Order: sequence, then C-alpha cells, then structure tokens
Amino acid sequence: MILETSALTYAYRTGKQLRFPDLQVSAGEKVLLVGVSGSGKSSLLNLIAGVLPLQMGSISLKNFQYGQLSPRALDSVRANHIGVIFQSFNLIPYLSGFENAHIGLKFSHRRRALVGRPREVIENLATQLGLTIDLLNQKPTELSIGQQQRIAAIRALIGQPELIIADEPTSALDPEATTLFMNQLNDSINPQTQAVVVVSHNPSIIPLFDRVITLDDPQ
Amino acid sequence: MIRIVAAAIRSRVVPTILVIIALTTSMALLLTVDRIQQATKKGFNQSLGGVDLVLGPRGSGIELVLYTVFHLGKPTNNITTETLKDIERNPFIEWAIPIALGDSHRGFRVISTTSEYFDRIQFDGDQSLSFIQGRAFQELNEVVLGSAVASELGYRRGSSIFVTHGSESLGRTHDDFAFQVSGILNPTGTPTDRAIFVSLEGYELIHLGWKSGSKIVSLDNVDISQIPRERLYPETITAAYLGLSSKLNLFRASRSINEYPEEAVSGVIPGVALAELWSMVGSVDFVFRIFNWLIIGVSLIGMVTMTLSGLDSRTRELTILRAVGATPVHLASMVLIETILISVISVLMAIGLVRLSTGIAADLLTRWAGVRIELTWISLAEFSVLMIIILAGLMASLLPATLVYRRSLAQGFSH
Repeated sequence: MILETSALTYAYRTGKQLRFPDLQVSAGEKVLLVGVSGSGKSSLLNLIAGVLPLQMGSISLKNFQYGQLSPRALDSVRANHIGVIFQSFNLIPYLSGFENAHIGLKFSHRRRALVGRPREVIENLATQLGLTIDLLNQKPTELSIGQQQRIAAIRALIGQPELIIADEPTSALDPEATTLFMNQLNDSINPQTQAVVVVSHNPSIIPLFDRVITLDDPQ
Repeated sequence: MIRIVAAAIRSRVVPTILVIIALTTSMALLLTVDRIQQATKKGFNQSLGGVDLVLGPRGSGIELVLYTVFHLGKPTNNITTETLKDIERNPFIEWAIPIALGDSHRGFRVISTTSEYFDRIQFDGDQSLSFIQGRAFQELNEVVLGSAVASELGYRRGSSIFVTHGSESLGRTHDDFAFQVSGILNPTGTPTDRAIFVSLEGYELIHLGWKSGSKIVSLDNVDISQIPRERLYPETITAAYLGLSSKLNLFRASRSINEYPEEAVSGVIPGVALAELWSMVGSVDFVFRIFNWLIIGVSLIGMVTMTLSGLDSRTRELTILRAVGATPVHLASMVLIETILISVISVLMAIGLVRLSTGIAADLLTRWAGVRIELTWISLAEFSVLMIIILAGLMASLLPATLVYRRSLAQGFSH
C-alpha cells in the first residue's frame, strides 16, 4: 500500500467543513478523483502532499503517518516520495526545461541517489513522454503548454517517488492531447513501486484510469 | 540553491543592477568623504612641523595659516621687519624665520626666506628637511626647489629659472634676473614639495625697479655687485614662523604678540587655527553625513521594496519549490541569500569605487594644497561600517523573508 487515508476532514477558516472519502492506493494503480468545483479536490491534494496541516483523520504514505510528523519531516517525505504536477504554470520561468526537470532532485538525497546520472534519466523520460531532447534547453516561454506539462511530468517522475499527484494536469489541453499525455504519463510509471492520483473535473478521461472516486458535492 | 538564486537574480537583472548602483554609490560616497576628510586633517596637521607660532598681520588666524603654510589664498597685509626684530627680542622666542610671498614660477609659489628655513621647518612630526641634490641658497641668484617642482618641471641643480610677478601665470616675468637652482629638497608630502625658495635679498632685488606690479627700471643696467647686501634686506614681509624655547609658554607668547603696541600683528598657533577650521567644516560635515546615511537607508529600502514587489510574481516559483520538497526555511533563506548577495556585491564594488575616487581626490588635493594622502584599500573602521550596512540590509530583508516563510506555511500550493 502506497497511500491510505481515513476519516479525513478539513475545516476552512470560513467555517466550511469537508469530509473526504477514504482512499487506498497501491503500487501500479492509477486513481482519478472527480468532483465539482468546491468539492475540495485541491485541499485533498494539499493534505496528501503535506503542505496543509492535518486536522482530523489520518493519512499514511508508505510507512509515514502524517499525524506523527513535524512540518519539516512532511516536507522531506514530499521531497523523497511524492511528485507533483500542477494544472498550469508548472515551470520556473528563468530556468531551462532541463533545469526545471532537474529541480525534482534538488531537495531529496534519496531520489538523487536513485537517479545516478540525471542527464540520461531526464533525456530518457523526455523521449518516453514524446519530447525531443533539444526542447530541454528551451526556456518555458518557448515551450507549448503540452511541452511544459511534460517537463513538469519529468520533474515529478524523476528519482522514482512512490506517489505522483496531479491537479487538473490536462485542463489546458484539447481532448486528443489530453488522452496522449495521460497515456504517456501512465506508461512512464513503474507499476511495481509507483502510483498515480489525478484530480479532475473532466469526466472524459475516466476510461484512462483503474479506479474513479467521486468527491461529495458540498451542496 | 545558490544556483537557483543566481538565476532568479539574473531574471530580474535591471532592477537588481539599479539597486546595486544605488547601494554602491551611497556607500562609496560615505567612505570617500570620510577618508578624504581624515587624510586632509592628517596631511594638514603634519605640514606644520616645528612651527610654534605664525606671526602675521592682525586678522583671521585661519586665513594666515592657510596662505602661509598651505599657499591657499592671498596675504592681505604685510608686517614690517622692524616689528619682527622687536618680537624676536621677546624672551619666549628662540628663533624666527621671515617669509615673503607673492611671486610664482609656472604655477608654483615662490617663498622668499632665510636659509635657516631648511634647518628649522619640519614635517610629519619631527622630520627635518633634507636635500636630494645640492644645498641651500647662499648667493642672491640661488634658488631651492621642492621635490614636486623639480620633477614636474624637469629641473636639476644648475637649471636657471625666471620668476613671475604675482601668483597667476599671467603676471609679468622678472626677466631681467635669472636664478640658478642650488638644491632640490627630498619629498615630504607637504606643501614644501610644491614651493620654490629664494633668499629675502634676492627677492627684494628683483622687485627693486618695480612699483605696483609693473617694472619701472630694469636690472639690466644695474651693477648688482655694487649694491650692499644689507640694503637688500626687505622692510616688509608677509609673515614669520616662530619657534619657542619652551612650548609651555605658547599661549603667553601668543598673547604678548597680540598685545604688541607698535603694529597690528597677531601670533597664531597653527594647530589652534586648524582646529577652528575643522570645527567650522565639522558642522557642515555632520549634516552631510546624516544625508549620506539617509541615502544608504533609502537604497536599502529600495532593495527590500524590490524583493517585496517581486514576491507576488514569484508565487509560482515558490509553489514549485515547495512541491519538490523545499521547506519554508529554504524559501525564506533564498530571499535572504538574494539580498546578502546584492549587499556583498555592492560592498565589493563600493570598495573599488572608493579606491578609485580617493585616488582622484588625493591627486587633486596634492595639486591644490600640496598635501599628500596615503591610499589604502580598506581600514578596519571602514570594514565595520560596511558590515553594519550589510547587517542593516539583512535585517531589512527579514521582512520579505518572514512573509515568504509564513505564507508558505499557512497556505497549501497556491497559484
């Protein structure tokens, strides 16, 4: 089991309170979380990523119980075991594609050690995701959105973190490109050790996933 | 992480350079003014060696010291040699050296005096004047050059020179009487280096046929050897340097000269006159310094403003760094490293700029007042001033750093 949550509840400062369904994700699984806006998809991802403090319920990633970890330790769990892909603006504008991908190793000894030769690994992942090597030398502004999302995917995948989480990673792509990207992403993970959790409000991608979990409509 | 910071700075290179320029120039200004001031004081004070009192016409003591010792400004009045003789009889006075000023040679001042000048006048504490070439003047037509005069004009022992009437190079030349260089002094770093010395009698001689700035009778038709030396001793002089038998009597001697009944003269203690000058300059200087610190403060605020205004546009990059595992402390220290880098670069550039500007200023000061400034890269006191500035910059950038820290702690991934 890679990820397990139970009785997870989050209360906002506004007083709104959300109760999330329990998750169990094991290696090789591709899980889609769907929900309308306001259903707390992003908050759930933030909780899993360890950047929002756990209030009620429990989360465990591999052997790490979030409730027992300091914020600092949570940061290091994220650095070592989680890769994150955002909806858009995924790259640091003044770094090249390669440097943006390489940043995934910056804060993790474990992932650096697993990678060994970063250039080779990044170039392999790029090819796997359908990028040409020369695109790695471009600045984000010179890349299409699809290419930027693929660089972000390399950053998330490099160093074999167990959990890849993606927040609406295809919302800026057309339906064809969406399918292609999701397939390439799903093909790039190691089914023995890695799992993918994607959040989306786009039902058209449901067929690409092993399992779909619907978040409650707060209304 | 330094690499990311460096790339971040490079991405905002124009505002960063502007902030660095503001910091660099304001720091350099502070240090340059400070250095020139200290060096000027030191230079002026060490030019006064050996002279206990300056005897001159009654008036401003500062002015008297400036035009006699530093050749700045012009004498307003003369004093009679009669008075000097009387005052020499005063038991406090051990020696007196008369000087007469007014003429020049290619921009360098001519000082007419007695050859005792070279024995009595000292510099840099208690160093005596010495000759690199030749000896003091003895004959009417002999002249001694300060080291800078000789090197800048290329004169050697035996060179012959004409003296120009007045201090401007436009004045008329005493072209009927040539002086021969009898000796050249060693460098001293004082106005002496830029002076030309002749005997009182030689000076009197070239003015014999002159009235109010123009030549009436030429020396060409005069047999100089027929003029008895005593007749050439002047009746008036510009001033005289006095030495006392005991420094304990300094103020008493000064007072008794000020009370001399026959002529309106004063005995000025050069150190006191200079102290008055520094205190006059000091109040202006104080205001200037306050403004200078304000400029530095404003530059630091500029740096923090740049960082703060950059934070919003950098939310994205901070979020990405959070996502790959950067802790809030990482992000806050990135902001700090950035400002430290800017401050350190500014400080290094300021040190270079100070070196350059004091070099130029020192050159100007040497030409203007003959005072030489010692150039150093940086002193301990200056270093601590710069450290204070870096520290102030660090303190100021704690604001944006804390902001980044708290934001990234309180919010999840924000877009």
